[in-house]
Amino acid sequence: MVGGMGKPKQKTLTRGVLIFAFNNEHTDYLAMAAWSAENIRKHLGLPVAVVTEAGYNGGDRAFDRVITAAPASGGTRYFEDYQATVSWHNAGRTDAYSLTPWDETLVLDADYVVDSDNLNRVWDSKANFMCYKNAFDISTGEFMHGLNRFGQYDMPMWWATVMMFRKSNTAQYIFDCMNMVKNNWQHYRDLYGISKSTYRNDFALSIALGIVSGHTGVVDEIPGTLLSVMPETVLTKDELGYNINFADSAGKQKYISFSNVDFHAMGKRHLEAIIASN
Amino acid sequence: MDTDSIIAHSRARFDHQTARRLLKEKYEARMLFAHAGGMWRAGPELQAVLLQCSPTDPVVILDLYDNPVKVTAPDLFAKSHSIWQEQMNAWLVEWENQNKKR
Repeated sequence: MVGGMGKPKQKTLTRGVLIFAFNNEHTDYLAMAAWSAENIRKHLGLPVAVVTEAGYNGGDRAFDRVITAAPASGGTRYFEDYQATVSWHNAGRTDAYSLTPWDETLVLDADYVVDSDNLNRVWDSKANFMCYKNAFDISTGEFMHGLNRFGQYDMPMWWATVMMFRKSNTAQYIFDCMNMVKNNWQHYRDLYGISKSTYRNDFALSIALGIVSGHTGVVDEIPGTLLSVMPETVLTKDELGYNINFADSAGKQKYISFSNVDFHAMGKRHLEAIIASN
Repeated sequence: MDTDSIIAHSRARFDHQTARRLLKEKYEARMLFAHAGGMWRAGPELQAVLLQCSPTDPVVILDLYDNPVKVTAPDLFAKSHSIWQEQMNAWLVEWENQNKKR
């Protein structure tokens, strides 16, 4: 061996966030992702890579890395806040494993608002793949029972909104399996009795986790709940934090305010207004 | 937003019950910490288990993910207690501020 008596250099693991952002006729997901990247740097101190369509030159330096990919359509979906059916380019998420530039990756939806350092706790876990299992509706203060199960057989749902994975066999099996489900979506729809034809990453992930875990249901979940703001609530932001206005079960107008809380803004229109006024 | 909506929103009252539940979710998530290769939730349940353990010899207990982890009970107890009280204090401050809202 020539010249090498020193210790081999230990490879430093790279760590970062990956966001998929493909605009459609109603929503500027790239603007959302750029705003999210700022929040991520501020609260998590992590670099951000965006996966988007070819043609984006990244000139605004919003992202540390720009990865181009063809938009993969998951079909169309009705969004209550727009009161319109829009194209949904969500199907490329299953390629996160091959596209990520990092060894340890946090995949976030562009509409997931990072307002705390909470997600940095996932790195302390030894798990190779983690995601949220239970979504919690901030406006009702209840778990979203209707959305935490899916299909005719009431299968448990895991949410693809936030996923942490490390380059590993386990993570690769999960993403390969999600791809298999996506590529044979009609078959899995029939098998699980999913009524809506639109492909959803959450369903593909849940089916994949079921298969990879040997249908034991034992999956490392991110501790805590996926806090969510529903499209019918009005989300605003002021200097103290976020506010949501909503009608309670008796139809009375209520509001709550919160800060240092990460949440999934399911109503894109209100989030776009916050970003525009930023 | 039209004028009627603005008036309706301006009359909205703070929902204390819902805000309280959100606070619980927020602070429970902050009780998590890593120690000795395991993940733990700071709080009285973990601390009660640790008080049953030998203060001198290492003990093996299950972490949040049901993995057995060898720990020194007093060290884990001290860390859990510190995080628990730090977060409970922050929870109290925020809860008191919320109670003043109308």
